Amino acid sequence: MREGVLHKAWDFVRKFWKVVVQVNRDKATDMLEFEVKEMENIFVILLLGSFIGLPSPPAAMAMELLPFMEDEIGLMVSRADFAQDPLGAVMGMLHVD
Amino acid sequence: MKKLAFFLGKGGVGKTTISSSVASQISREGRKVLIVSLDPAHNLGDVFGARLTDARTSLGPRLDGIEIDLAAWVSRYLKESREEIRENYRYHATINLDSYINILKYSPGTEEYAVLWAIEHIHREHREDYDLIVFDTPPTALTLRFLAMPSISLMWVRELTGMREKILEKRQTVLRLNPEASVVRGAVKKDEDRIYSRLSGIRSRLTGLHRIFQEESYLTVVVNPDDLSLAEALRIRHELEKLEVRIDSVCLNKAPDEGACKEKVEDSFRRFPVFTSFHLPDGVRGAEDLARIDVEDLKNDLIGRT
Repeated sequence: MREGVLHKAWDFVRKFWKVVVQVNRDKATDMLEFEVKEMENIFVILLLGSFIGLPSPPAAMAMELLPFMEDEIGLMVSRADFAQDPLGAVMGMLHVD
Repeated sequence: MKKLAFFLGKGGVGKTTISSSVASQISREGRKVLIVSLDPAHNLGDVFGARLTDARTSLGPRLDGIEIDLAAWVSRYLKESREEIRENYRYHATINLDSYINILKYSPGTEEYAVLWAIEHIHREHREDYDLIVFDTPPTALTLRFLAMPSISLMWVRELTGMREKILEKRQTVLRLNPEASVVRGAVKKDEDRIYSRLSGIRSRLTGLHRIFQEESYLTVVVNPDDLSLAEALRIRHELEKLEVRIDSVCLNKAPDEGACKEKVEDSFRRFPVFTSFHLPDGVRGAEDLARIDVEDLKNDLIGRT
C-alpha cells in the first residue's frame, strides 16, 4: 500500500519534471524556431515570388520544387496571417506585454 | 571533342539553308548526321522536301531529321509535374494548383526551358548514334535566352541551395536542444531533404547543359552583308562571351561581292575564322540543291573539330 503511494508520487514527480524541462526547452528554442520558420517562409516567397510580383527564378524551376513544398506553402499561408502585425508577433515571442 | 553544331543568326540570314547544306554534305561524305530544328516556326522539312516530326525521320543515307515540338515538350513536363504534386500533396487544391499549372505554359521562360530539355534529351539519347548533331536555331532573341538559361538558373539554384543549407543547419540545432519542436518535423539532414536533393539534381542538369554549350558545341554565326545582320551577329558574340560560351566561326551568306563584304565581316570578327558560302540564286528545293551550295571551308573547319 505504502509502496503504491510512493510509486505514484514518484511517477507524478517524473512527469512534472518532464513538463518543466520541456517548457524550458520550448522557451530556449522559441527564437530559433521563429528564425527557422521565417527562413522557410522567405525560401517559399523567393521561389514563388511571381505570385506577388517579386523577381523569381524561372517558373519551370519553381515547378520542379513545388511537389515537395506542401508544408512550406502551408507555413507561408499561416505566416501571411500575422503579416499585418509582425511587431506584435515578435513582442509576443519575447513575452513583452 | 565537339559533337554538336549550332547555327545562330538573325532571322532570314539563311541559318536553315546553311545548316541543312552542311549536314547533308557531311552525311554524303560518310558520317552519320542528325539535323534538328529548334525553331518553333519550322521550315527544315520544307528545305528537304519532307515532313518532319518530333521523332527521327530519314532524310537520306546517314542523315536523319527532327523538328522539335516545343508545345508537346511543355505539356509533357507540366503533366509530369501535376502527377508528382498529386502524389506528394495531402490536399492538392490548397492554392488551386491545377489552374496554376495550366497557366504555366504561358509563363515567361517556359519555352526556353522546353528547348533546353529537348537539347538535353537529344544529347543523351542520340549522341552515341551519330557522328554529328546539327541544330538549326530559332531567331536570336529566343536562342540567346535558352543559351543563357543555364547560367541564370544556376545563380538562383546557388542562392536557394545556400538558403536551404542554412535552414537545415538551424533545424539540426533546434533538434539537439528540443527534439519535440514543431520545426524539426521536416528533414534535418541534406540527404533526407527532398527539396535539397531536387536542387542538387537541377544544378547537375544545368551544369551539364552549360558544359555541353561550352565544350561540346561548335557555334557558328550566319551573317549577311547588310549592317543589321552584322550588328546582330556582334551582339550574339558579345552576349555569348558574357556567358563564357565562345563562338567558333562566322559564315557569310548571300554576299554578292565576296572580297569587300568578307573584309568588312573579318574586321568585325578579328579573332574568328570567317567562311563564305555561295548560295543558289533560285533558292533551295530538295537534297540535290543542298549538295550544290558551297560550304566547303565551313564544313572542313567543323569536321576538323569533331
